[in-house]
Amino acid sequence: MEKKLITLTVNDIEYELYINPKTLLVEAIRDHIGLTGTKRGCETVSCGACTVMIDDMAIKSCSVLAVQAEGRRIITAEGLEKNGVLAPIQKAFLDEGSYQCGFCTSGMLISSEAFLRETKNPTEEQMKEAIEGNICRCTGYNSIVRAIAAVAKGKYAEVKS
Amino acid sequence: MIHDFNYLKPGSVKEALAMLADHADECKVICGGQSLLIVMRQGLVAVDYLIDLKGLNELSYIKYDDKEGLKLGATTTHRIIEKSKVIKKSYPVLTAMEEKLASIQVRNWGTIGGNLAHADAAGDPAPVLISLGAKIKLGSKKGDRVMSLEEFYTDLFETAMEHDEIVLEVQVPPAPPKTGSAYQKFNLIENDQGIVAVAATVTADKGGVCTDAKIVLGNAGVIPIRAKSAEKVLIGKKLTDKLFAEAGEAAAGDADPVSDIHSSADFRRHLIKVLTKRMVKKAWDQATKG
Amino acid sequence: MNKYTVINPHEPFRVLNTHVHNIDGIAKVTGRATYTFDVKLPGMLYGKILRSPYPHAKIIKIDASKALALPGVLAVVNGKDDTLGVKQGIWRRYNDLCDEQVLPVDKVRYIGEPVAAVAAVTEEIAEKALDYIEVEYEVLPATFEPLDAIKKDAPEIHEGFERNINVTRHIEWGEVEEAFEEAEYIREDWFKCGGQAHMCMETRAAVASYTPDGKMTVWTSTQSAYYHQALLAGVLGLREGNVRVLAPYVGGGFGGKFELDGAQFCACILSMKVRKPVKIIFTREEDFIASKRRTPMFYYTRTGVKKDGTFCAREAKVFTNGGAYTGMGATALYLTGFFHSFPYRWKGYRYDGYRVYTNTLPSTSMRGFGAPQAMWCSEQQIEWIAADLGLDPIEMRRKNSHHEGYVVPGQATIASCGIDQCYDEIKTWIKSKGKLPKNRSIGLSACGFMSGGIFNWFDTPYSFSSAVVTVNNDGTVELHVGAQDIGQGSNTTMAIICAEALGVKVEDIKVHSGDTDHCPADLGAWGSRQTLMTGNAVKMASEDAKKQLLEFAYAQSGLNIVYDLDIKEGWVHAIARPERGETFEALVKRATRGKDGQRIVGRGYYTPHRKGMISPAYSYMLQGVEVEVDEETGKIKLIDSMTAHDCGQPINHLGLIGQLEGAFSMAAGYGYLEYMPFEDGKMMNPNLVDYKMVRSTDMPPANIAEIDTYEPEGPYGAKEAGEGLTNPTAAAIGNAIYHRFGIQMKECPVRPEMIVNALKEKAEKDKEAKKK
Repeated sequence: MEKKLITLTVNDIEYELYINPKTLLVEAIRDHIGLTGTKRGCETVSCGACTVMIDDMAIKSCSVLAVQAEGRRIITAEGLEKNGVLAPIQKAFLDEGSYQCGFCTSGMLISSEAFLRETKNPTEEQMKEAIEGNICRCTGYNSIVRAIAAVAKGKYAEVKS
Repeated sequence: MIHDFNYLKPGSVKEALAMLADHADECKVICGGQSLLIVMRQGLVAVDYLIDLKGLNELSYIKYDDKEGLKLGATTTHRIIEKSKVIKKSYPVLTAMEEKLASIQVRNWGTIGGNLAHADAAGDPAPVLISLGAKIKLGSKKGDRVMSLEEFYTDLFETAMEHDEIVLEVQVPPAPPKTGSAYQKFNLIENDQGIVAVAATVTADKGGVCTDAKIVLGNAGVIPIRAKSAEKVLIGKKLTDKLFAEAGEAAAGDADPVSDIHSSADFRRHLIKVLTKRMVKKAWDQATKG
Repeated sequence: MNKYTVINPHEPFRVLNTHVHNIDGIAKVTGRATYTFDVKLPGMLYGKILRSPYPHAKIIKIDASKALALPGVLAVVNGKDDTLGVKQGIWRRYNDLCDEQVLPVDKVRYIGEPVAAVAAVTEEIAEKALDYIEVEYEVLPATFEPLDAIKKDAPEIHEGFERNINVTRHIEWGEVEEAFEEAEYIREDWFKCGGQAHMCMETRAAVASYTPDGKMTVWTSTQSAYYHQALLAGVLGLREGNVRVLAPYVGGGFGGKFELDGAQFCACILSMKVRKPVKIIFTREEDFIASKRRTPMFYYTRTGVKKDGTFCAREAKVFTNGGAYTGMGATALYLTGFFHSFPYRWKGYRYDGYRVYTNTLPSTSMRGFGAPQAMWCSEQQIEWIAADLGLDPIEMRRKNSHHEGYVVPGQATIASCGIDQCYDEIKTWIKSKGKLPKNRSIGLSACGFMSGGIFNWFDTPYSFSSAVVTVNNDGTVELHVGAQDIGQGSNTTMAIICAEALGVKVEDIKVHSGDTDHCPADLGAWGSRQTLMTGNAVKMASEDAKKQLLEFAYAQSGLNIVYDLDIKEGWVHAIARPERGETFEALVKRATRGKDGQRIVGRGYYTPHRKGMISPAYSYMLQGVEVEVDEETGKIKLIDSMTAHDCGQPINHLGLIGQLEGAFSMAAGYGYLEYMPFEDGKMMNPNLVDYKMVRSTDMPPANIAEIDTYEPEGPYGAKEAGEGLTNPTAAAIGNAIYHRFGIQMKECPVRPEMIVNALKEKAEKDKEAKKK
């Protein structure tokens, strides 16, 4: 087996990795790069805790090989804030209490953010579907949908002076 | 744990087919990997070479014209199919099916070619595409061939593909006028894989007589099943609620379902009866409206 | 989408029940929160556990030589060679209930039980090494169902437990036979309640590090750092003070993470062998098959009432499937019997519970603790009785319900009870829904729950909860508690109580929890105890600190003694003249100087005394669920819900809503989705494809009508709001189905096939009846 030298762009930072090609993207992010915000909760691509954005698409990083993600723009939960300023979806999660134990939260934030980037004026049904691939055992989901709705309505839009 | 493999990334279909020819049965092809990586992790698939087709953009396309019908490139993601305006207009049943397939995340990365090649009995696209009369184009270093998607499936997780072949394209013929298609899977929670599923495509003539029916049962056997006795009930007749129900009964007889923790075989038959009745009616209403 | 209404509000508090952000929010929404899952230490090894493939077998021989020969494998341990063989259990007070070695020495009793563990340089090597450990078993006959396991010829699972009866419980009051004689209508029914997996998003996880100074440090996903400290000390032969348990952020518990589990125990044993940190994280499959589950139960219940609906007598007999070890099963056995009487007054009540060992996954506590099972049976039977007698189900419930001051004979005194208003709220809700579409119906369920348990089965000499409040020079506050935040927001709740009591802002408080080296002992997060018990300790500690501070304010201010001083939002002032005062920081500086530079420290603690047999306080609720059922396929969809809920004084507003919505999704799962079948001791669906759970698109609105009452035993009148909400939903779903179709679902989770079959049966019966 031949290891591969790849460059992954995560949260706008380039990381050079020398890895066994069977390394999953979630393993590359967590163990090689050291960003532990992205979690794992299953072995069957079911729970969504590992969701990251690849080129603005929400994708489960447990079922992508790291080598496949080379050349793409990867965003994890750590990459949502800009210079310490929280993204609207993060602020909304705080206001709505859209997390409890927090283990699913990184994945939920990414699924929510990716959805908001591609959908304007979403219906409630669409907002629920946005996180259908993410399991939460604590919140019962409704508070997360409320957070998405608040951002979609423009509650956190920057007021231009 | 995944068995160590050497990773090969072809830059073109031609290169991919050459690699496949070289490595024969020591290799496997990966694209979206949404199904494959699970079985690799479980040790059910262990190969020395993995050929990655995910980057083959030349196979990511949606082409449609009224004469040739629809051509879907194998590496087109489910999400692209789901969002395609062209498909929504001409084959809305495909859009509806994709909207309920797995999750957004899986649809963003998984591909139609990968899904069909994996041959999961509970897969959503196969029954729908078969009911639309789809064909599948396979390619190898030796050349291409086209076969009906119905004949593509041979056994549980097995297809008619040779070791050196990949899926290139799915071809869906243009729908004849007055054709309707419907698909429903039965699940306990939304978007979950189907305990059983039914896809129905029916065509009516100007007199309101059913001239063609393709009813395909999903997860009712090891491969998608054409419910031919149900189709016999319908073809040549003006369809009524009574006939929809009869078709349902016949389809239940065509099914070869298993009993598992989600459902007994009997209940699967019952669901097929109900779903067939409903989907044939829905397709017929579409075909005969306006 | 969510309707939140408050009935009878108390005088407004500054902090209580206001919209406070969860104080762990920044960490959790920015990916900064680290869990045991994320812990990485220098030189850390990875551990994997070899598990028994047999439900019942003697361990004859374990040969790990081939595994040890693999490059990268540093140690392999097993029960016989590497442990003290201590039989432990969480019910420490009763030796015979301490029946589990975790790594067994002599025999295995369930499929998935740990048999050996490996530590290696990488996770992959550790996993590979498992295949090289050779274990010789002598397979023994096994038994899987309680009603089989109690038969005379059933295999003996634990020595000395005749008929495999692990625990029995008996609850009785009144003259039961006499009460039945008074009854004019009697119904008896049998029910079957399924198990359920906790399914925490973070699986069982531990990192253990044993150092040459004889100290063990364990990072673990736990509901009680103190319990694990004590349990580990006991099984490892260490002094409690030499075991430090740290809980980084915890990814859910739900009742499954306060007992000793394989991750913790095996990581410790391995670390003791190699003197290096060892990390064990369960895979999701392991978490399903090898962490204890909700107790499956077989219920028989016989109820006698008068024709006007007055409850007279009830007798229940319950057999529970205990699985291979006791765990917290003894408590679940008692609580199910107690809450099977809730929330009603019975002239005569008798409950006999039998917990039976079987060779299956042990069952234990899970959110609701036996009450979801109890309500599944009780609330449906009560609905059927109302229907049989032609009575209004809400009014029949109301006339028999608990009220403030009621004494459950020999068991509990109800000091606050808002159930009556709950009935009114739900009636209003039902009326507002008007006529439902014909494929929908509403089902109801009442219930109540404890705010923590009274019985000291852990045999601790410590107060059940303690707190220390330390005030810094700049007015910030260190709050040390042993209460464990597992997502329910206890850190925030304690900060809110401290802020309210001390008169500061929540942002001024730093909560320290989850570290046995620095935090006081606390029984931890289970039985919905922390808001009341730790909350009381925090209130006491905060008031202690406040009193010490105010001594300096009184001394300085020269106020007439009839004037009182108070602190609100960091402003120290005379209550009658709030404009006269000084800042909290200014007072603190003076007070600190006055105490020779020592920070002001307030201490608080709480243990319930003279509060009956079960709990110091009880929550009450009535829940209505609107359910849609497809008559032909039996598919169930939840449309809407309303819960009228009395938790005394709500403390953490966002936390309360979160508890309601989260509990609802788990309780609904218990009612119609989370089927967990076992075949010959093997769990058939240990993965998230086949184990079905409520997802976002299945979750209906969870509306709440909060009924304010005042619970004298609780801090500011607060009671529990975390577990009780898990109790009603399954029964409410069952009742909705009953009202729509007239079919009685005796088994949960209810699945479509069961509904379709029941409808078929009913149609045939009706046909027969028509013929006659």
